[in-house]
Amino acid sequence: MAIKEFKLPDVGEGVAEGELVTWHVAPGDTVEEDQVVAEVETDKALVDVPSPYNGTVSELRAEEGEMVPVGDVIITFEVEGEDGDEAASGEQEAESESEVESAAGDAQSADEDAEETTDTAETETQSGRVFASPSVRRLARELDVDIASVSGSGPSGRVTESDVRAAADSGADESDDSKSGGPRSVSFSGKSAVSKRGDAENGEVASGSTEAAGREKTLAAPATRRIADEEGVNIDDVPASEERDGEAFVSPEAVREYAQAQREAQAADAKALSEEAEAGEATAEAEAETGATAGGADSESGPAAGERVPYRGVRRAIGDQMERSKYTAPHVTHHDDVDVTELVELREDLKPLAAEQGVSLTYMPFVMKAVVAALKEFPYVNAQLDEENEEIVLRDEYNLGVATATDAGLMVPVVHGADGKGLSDLARDMSEKVEKARERKISREEMQGGTFTITNIGGIGGEYATPIINYPEVAILALGAIKEKPRVVDGDVVPRKVLTLSLSVDHRVVDGAVAAQFTNKVKEYLANPKLLMLE
Amino acid sequence: MVVGDISTGTEVLVIGAGPGGYVAAIRAAQRGLDTTLVERDAYGGTCLNHGCIPSKAYITASSLAHEAGSAEEMGIHADPAVDMSQMRSWKDDVVGRLTGGVEKLCKANGVNLIEGTARFKDDSSVRIEHGGEGQGSETVEFERCIVATGSRPVQIPGFEFADDPVWSSRDALAAESVPDELLVVGAGYIGMELSTAFAKLGADVTVVEMLEDVLPGYEDDVSNVVRKRAEELGIEFHFGEGASGWSPDGDDVVVETETEDGETSSYRADKVLVAVGRSPVTDTVDAENAGLETDEKGFFETDDRMRTSVDHIYAVGDVVADSPMLAHVGSKEGIVAAEHAAGEPAAYDAQAVPAAVFTDPEIGTVGMTESEAEEAGFTPAVGQMPFNASGRAMTTGHTEGFVRVVADEDSGFVLGGQIVGPEASELVAELALAVEMGATLEDVAGTVHTHPTLAEAVMEAAENARGEAIHTLNR
Repeated sequence: MAIKEFKLPDVGEGVAEGELVTWHVAPGDTVEEDQVVAEVETDKALVDVPSPYNGTVSELRAEEGEMVPVGDVIITFEVEGEDGDEAASGEQEAESESEVESAAGDAQSADEDAEETTDTAETETQSGRVFASPSVRRLARELDVDIASVSGSGPSGRVTESDVRAAADSGADESDDSKSGGPRSVSFSGKSAVSKRGDAENGEVASGSTEAAGREKTLAAPATRRIADEEGVNIDDVPASEERDGEAFVSPEAVREYAQAQREAQAADAKALSEEAEAGEATAEAEAETGATAGGADSESGPAAGERVPYRGVRRAIGDQMERSKYTAPHVTHHDDVDVTELVELREDLKPLAAEQGVSLTYMPFVMKAVVAALKEFPYVNAQLDEENEEIVLRDEYNLGVATATDAGLMVPVVHGADGKGLSDLARDMSEKVEKARERKISREEMQGGTFTITNIGGIGGEYATPIINYPEVAILALGAIKEKPRVVDGDVVPRKVLTLSLSVDHRVVDGAVAAQFTNKVKEYLANPKLLMLE
Repeated sequence: MVVGDISTGTEVLVIGAGPGGYVAAIRAAQRGLDTTLVERDAYGGTCLNHGCIPSKAYITASSLAHEAGSAEEMGIHADPAVDMSQMRSWKDDVVGRLTGGVEKLCKANGVNLIEGTARFKDDSSVRIEHGGEGQGSETVEFERCIVATGSRPVQIPGFEFADDPVWSSRDALAAESVPDELLVVGAGYIGMELSTAFAKLGADVTVVEMLEDVLPGYEDDVSNVVRKRAEELGIEFHFGEGASGWSPDGDDVVVETETEDGETSSYRADKVLVAVGRSPVTDTVDAENAGLETDEKGFFETDDRMRTSVDHIYAVGDVVADSPMLAHVGSKEGIVAAEHAAGEPAAYDAQAVPAAVFTDPEIGTVGMTESEAEEAGFTPAVGQMPFNASGRAMTTGHTEGFVRVVADEDSGFVLGGQIVGPEASELVAELALAVEMGATLEDVAGTVHTHPTLAEAVMEAAENARGEAIHTLNR
């Protein structure tokens, strides 16, 4: 039996920590490989953490509700049939394997040199000095290892990088108590690691592993390197299939398997997002009249008045994005309204036809078409500001974000290539993504690349608002509710269907006059929807 | 808050743009922190403006002049004439290029530069007074602060630097002409470097020193080489005497000295250079307003992350207690402070700090001496290579001095080294690397060195410590 540690993996680009939301296991539970043991929420997603082993849960190292830095051990397992002396935890995979090997190599060469490595511990305590290079000493600080307590395997007992890593792995218990007093460091591998692990626990390097090996040197044939390029993987991250001259050697098969595993991991990642989402009564329709229950948590189970609710996860991600937008882009909001009586009639006519195609036709596709037509005339509204290079980038794509209230908070699925789509396609694409967002099944890609955002504020009440730009875009259009209001037509006051519009623009790029002209163009199309036929 | 006072915010405020401060500011900015650097005098601090750089410029120029005039053995007959004002403008040009470079580097890295004197208002803001009448002030709020205000020359009672004939090292480096007779008070490294340079430029130099030898802190066999050479250059030493006062006598000054027993002497000179050490500049920042305490000598105590007693305020460079006043130490400490401020696990844990004295010949030391190694519990293995056994040294005409390597006999780890001789300031870098990397004597001896170079002496010394030297008799 051996104790195996599991560290919170890097669950996504730039994610430094996650909240341990729920444990699905308790000490003593028997688990199988890939069985979900915990749920962790990061600022990007809620993800399942699967067990990498068949074994028994021996200890839970984090409590529910605790924020856990990536790389911290959260759970340990007892695993059958393991060599108890093995220094590497299963989670370390190829990286640690190679470290251990090199450590062994160092020790061996030290023996060959007939150096007395056993004497060095005495020497260290004698002098209070540690013989290790600056890079190794820094690594020790990063891993929270007291280097003075590490016995070195290098020449004359010099402490090597592998000694420090081995000490970090074996001494994980102590490392929970930060000794250094300095801020914790978190290393980002930039790799998605949520999902399956290979058969690393048998001591072999798992060729199907999605864990990045992160070696500095990899031997491989030129053809293999080309495959890695084609597959878009870093050859140093591919688990080595064998070793040559003491260096990791990677075969073409290993590259392909790793690339495939990466793709599967990404798919699993997206799938994992689906947990816990209960869209409830919210419908897929982004109809102007439909109210979206933003932040509408279940009042029975939700926090009560007077409580302090952690500012985390999606809520904090939204907050950060809003803060960045508001404090970076000077917002100006232009308000107007438009008589959409003809549009209401047209939609009523088209609705049954669309229903025959299985499409629920809302007003949003019409608005999207009107917006795309207006954006084409006013390219500065479909732009973004590249602050670093001091350039305004006029986008040649029309990717419309549709702000969607979900139980978890605001999300913005993006309908890509809106300019090339007809009403039905727009309706279908949008409703699909809005649905996914509400159920938190949406992938990051489906929320990225927007060039302009439409938000619908009229569902619950109100006329006008100041929408905050979905940075780095430069404009956002908020739709109010379509309400019957008195309007003067041919000298008579008559009831008409009126939609309010609020357009916020980044004043660095778009001036008020352009905002008004753009809005006028949108109005023109919405007031005379026949014009959309030409678009 | 004064009406109309502008308050701005920054993540990291660095006070002082010397080698500790500007390096810290650049590194902080490189780590993505919004960084503001305040300097009241000149970018580059003492090192670039009034210390290392101008002194080394003069030392090089004076050595060149001296060597050209004393190379008859090599068949060179010359009588160099020194144009002091041209030498000075060349020195100023070097300094100008370097300080301009510092300013440009700071700007290019996105550091906000403010000129003025910063004083703490509290532990999260400073007031910056701009120089000159009516220039006003501004308030800067900071999240973290790095104090790098450096040091200034110590004055001794009776010798005010404001008085014309009394020079500080800074005054000496700004001198417009070479005095005929220079009296130097203090035979530490600054006194020795400047004495040597002025002697080579033609001044008659007399040195008075309270202690019994030059260069306190260095082993006798090291400092003896330097003293002997200084005496050859005509420098006159009076040990065991402290300067007690001076009086003008026509265009000259007469300096009175006193021994411990009360015996007095007097020396006539054109100028008197007081070089008795440096003290930290911590009295200008109103440290107490930030809750910062200094020790009795005015230094800030820091931990190995360079944090002061106030957690988010760091101190680096000459203001740090128990830290040698060396530019390279300040820079390293600046990097540690900046990286720690950026949330990295940086720490100042150098195993050894190399130091160099630019006398003739130079001294370069790092790590432990033999006796220090013994005190630390090691059994020292020591190897030495005299430069008079070095082919390259002979071809330079400078064969005085030696390279000494100190190691642990059991493990072979290099613990330190002392070099006195030509280019010692450069050669010591190899030993510093060896100490820092935990290299053994075998590592150094087994590294192939270029022939013919002075660096071979380092390899030979390591071999000598192993009893395997080829070019010297093994000890």
